[in-house]
This record gives sequence, C-alpha cells and structure tokens, in this order.
Amino acid sequence: MIEVANLRKRYRRRNVLNGVSFAVEKGQIACLIGLNGAGKSTVLKAIMGLTPVQEGTIRIDGRPVGKETYEKVSYIPDRLTVPPYMKLWEGLRFMQDFYRSWNPERARELMAFFGLDAQERVGNLSKGTAAKFNLVLGLAPDSDYVLMDEPFSGIDLFSRENLAGIFSSGLIGSRGVLLTTHEVDEIERLIDKAILLRGGTVVRSFDCERVRDEEGKSVVDVMREVLLA
Amino acid sequence: MNRYFKLVHLEVYRFRYILFGLMAVTAIVQIAALLWVSRNEVAQIQAEGVAANVNRVLFPDEKLSFAWAIFSTQRWFALPILLSIATLGLYVFLIWYRDWLGRDTFIYRLLTLPTARRNIFLSKLTAILLFVFGLISFQLALLPIERILFNMAVAPDLREPSPFTDAILASQVFKRLLPLDRTQFLVSYGFGIIAVLAVFAAILLERSYRRTGILYGFVYLAACAVAVLYPLYALGLNQADAYLYPEEVIAIELAVCLVVAAASIWLSWRLLAKKITV
Repeated sequence: MIEVANLRKRYRRRNVLNGVSFAVEKGQIACLIGLNGAGKSTVLKAIMGLTPVQEGTIRIDGRPVGKETYEKVSYIPDRLTVPPYMKLWEGLRFMQDFYRSWNPERARELMAFFGLDAQERVGNLSKGTAAKFNLVLGLAPDSDYVLMDEPFSGIDLFSRENLAGIFSSGLIGSRGVLLTTHEVDEIERLIDKAILLRGGTVVRSFDCERVRDEEGKSVVDVMREVLLA
Repeated sequence: MNRYFKLVHLEVYRFRYILFGLMAVTAIVQIAALLWVSRNEVAQIQAEGVAANVNRVLFPDEKLSFAWAIFSTQRWFALPILLSIATLGLYVFLIWYRDWLGRDTFIYRLLTLPTARRNIFLSKLTAILLFVFGLISFQLALLPIERILFNMAVAPDLREPSPFTDAILASQVFKRLLPLDRTQFLVSYGFGIIAVLAVFAAILLERSYRRTGILYGFVYLAACAVAVLYPLYALGLNQADAYLYPEEVIAIELAVCLVVAAASIWLSWRLLAKKITV
C-alpha cells in the first residue's frame, strides 16, 4: 500500500501541499484530481523522492522511500526520461540494465501494443508517441505500483483511446495505480478511487463506485460540486 | 558497484564524440604545426647551407631536435590543449545541467534508478577524471608519434636526439600539464579535483534551492577558495619571516584541502539524497 500522511511543502512562500493524506492499495486505480496548481504532480514527485517535503511521511508497503522503492514503484512523468540521442531499443536496454524488475517480454508486448518502432530516435518522437513510449518504460517492469502524471496530456483522441485501453487490458494487472489527469471523462469508468485536491489540500476522497451507486453521481459531478464550490 | 560502473559507462558514452573530436583536433593541429615548422626550417637550412635560424643559446649544436620543434610550435600545441581545458571546464557544469534541460529530462530517470544516488555523483566525477586523464594520456601517446613524424621530416644529418623530458620542458603548457615532478603532479591535479568537487556541490545547491541556491553556490565556492588559499598566503609559505615552518604550512594546507574535499562530497551526497528537486 502507498500511504501518504500529512504531507506539507512550502515553495516560494506558498503552501504547495498542506497536509495531504491518502492511501492507495494494490489492485486499486486511484486518481488525483484537481485544477492546475492544486499540487497533483508535486505529490507524485514527493512519493518518488524527486522533491523534498517539509513535513509528513510516505510509506510504500510499510517502508519509507529508498532505492528499493524504485524497483517496486514505476513512475511515468509527463515527459520522457530517456536522453534524446538514444534509439528506443537503447532506452529499453538501459532500463533492463538498471532494473531487476524489468520484464523484457512485457516490454516487447507493450511496444507492439502501441505500434512503436524500436529503431526510432527518442528525440524525433512526436508528443503522442513519446507518451506511449513513456508508458512502455513505466509499465514493462514487474512493479507493484505505477504512478502516472497526466498520461493523456496533449495527446490526440485516438491515441488517448489507445492509452485508456491499457487500463482495461492485462498490462496493468493487479498493480496499484495512482494517476493524475485533467481528462477524467476518458477514464472515469476505470478508476476505483478519486482524491480531489484543491490548493494543496485533499478536499474529498471517495470510492467512485459507491458514490455512483449511493448518490447517483459521476466523478465529474462530484468534481463540480467540490472544486468549483 | 555494478550500477556505478554502468553509470560511468553511460557518462563516457554520452561524451564520446566530443572526446574523440578533441583528440582529433589535438592530433591534427599539433602534427600539422610540427611538420610545417620542421619542413620550413629544413628548407631554409638547405637553402642557406647552415642552420642560421636555430636558437644558438638553446640548441648550440646547430642541429634540429624534437625539443626545438616543440619549442618552436608551442603556441600551436597549446591551442588544442586550451580548447580541451575550456571544453572540460564547461562540461563540469553541463554534465549535470544537460540532464535537467530540454524536452527529455533524464534526471527523472537517474534519480529514480534503484541504486544509491551517490553513484550518480561518483559516476559524473569519475567521468570528468577519465576525460582529463584520457586526454593527457592521449597527449603522452601522441608525443612519440610526433617524434617519429619529426624524424621523418628532418634528415638524420640535420637532427640530434633529444629526450622527452627536454621536449616537455621546451613547452610552457607541457611543463604545467605534464609536470615531471611527482609532487607537482599531485598538487596540480589534486587542486583540480577539489575544484571539481566544490563546483559539483555548488551546482547541486543551485539545483536544490534554485534561485536562492545560486547565492548559496557562490558563497560556498568563495568559502572553499578562501579556505584553500588562506594558509598559502596568510601563513607565509617559503617566507623568511614566517612564524611556521614550510612543512607545517603544507600540512595545514593539506588538511584544509582534505576538509574541503570531504565537505563537498558530504554536501553533494546529502543534497542528492534529501534536497534535490526536479
């Protein structure tokens, strides 16, 4: 389980995170939802140790974040994390060299799923293709959790459908997923838990299916109620 | 350890074209200058019948030597060496910043590799040292080749043998780059390594605290410079009226250098582990 408790971060005299707490279990797809500047990406970076926080704790399966975390948790940021001079196959080889959890068979499967050419140079990829390759790098390891930062950002409609398809395919499997997105419509039916962030604070966290059943509201309805209130 | 070596390989691989380019420029410029000057001199000697232009004080036998050739071409020899020094000086900064800049930010990946983050620091430091000593080794390997080419360009009756030490002493740049004295070598390159460590710490301060970090970085570099230079100037090394013996000043200086190096490494590792921001 990813447990985030009372995260606080100040940056340039502004409270970026103001006591953020939530938990994501294995097998669960959770979505951090918020308007621009709500602190969604910062939470993901904090979990990966890519930005310091002033207060709070982060535990992955009960242990603090350390180098072993990076075998357990895959992070898919909103940009490519491979040098532009590399060809895609070199990027895959780099991952295989460094991660024990790397699964080359799944990497091949994902490359085929997204129709990527391994001979292409990373620097020449379009935004959509780069996002797909990013997903290959993040989903190929046998990790327990996947963090995705705006996986649908700037991608055309058909590519987005393609990307959304991975959630319903076996490529996610039983992993816990924590993602941030603006395009909730695309994946609303796929997410189990929504965590609404406003101004660095969790304003509501709920089980999507329960809210649909009991309150008859969609995630977007709750978003409107809470974030635009 | 295995991942450290992989990271070193990656850093060297990323710089390979620039490194080979610098080696190629060094070889081409030095060999061209050497052959041009030697052939000109030979042509002049043959035209005049005597080695009129040879510096009689330095080379009294009126014959051309490899040391003379190095002496006569030292500006051309210095040019690619200074270019290499400038490139490596710039790359000390770029080796970090290139991972943050551009559309594809490799630093995300580097910082989330399942290995201790100090390996990133050590691999970049190792890479810089490999580039420096690789270029010096290349220069040392180039000298015998240049001597062979010099021997081919100058007829045996017009040249006299000269040892490599003479050739190195004939050039102001070689004297500093390839010190013949072991202590001088350790001092020169030791100061260089400490400077790289301090700059790495300053870069990581900037990367951790951004705008404020620029100020922290400059203050840190200034503090390191004062700490390292103070004993040499204030305590009076080799001054007759100095309070301390030269050995004592050197011991203090050595201790300060070790403290600055250790502080820079500790600070860099701590920043990478706890404060770095992407």
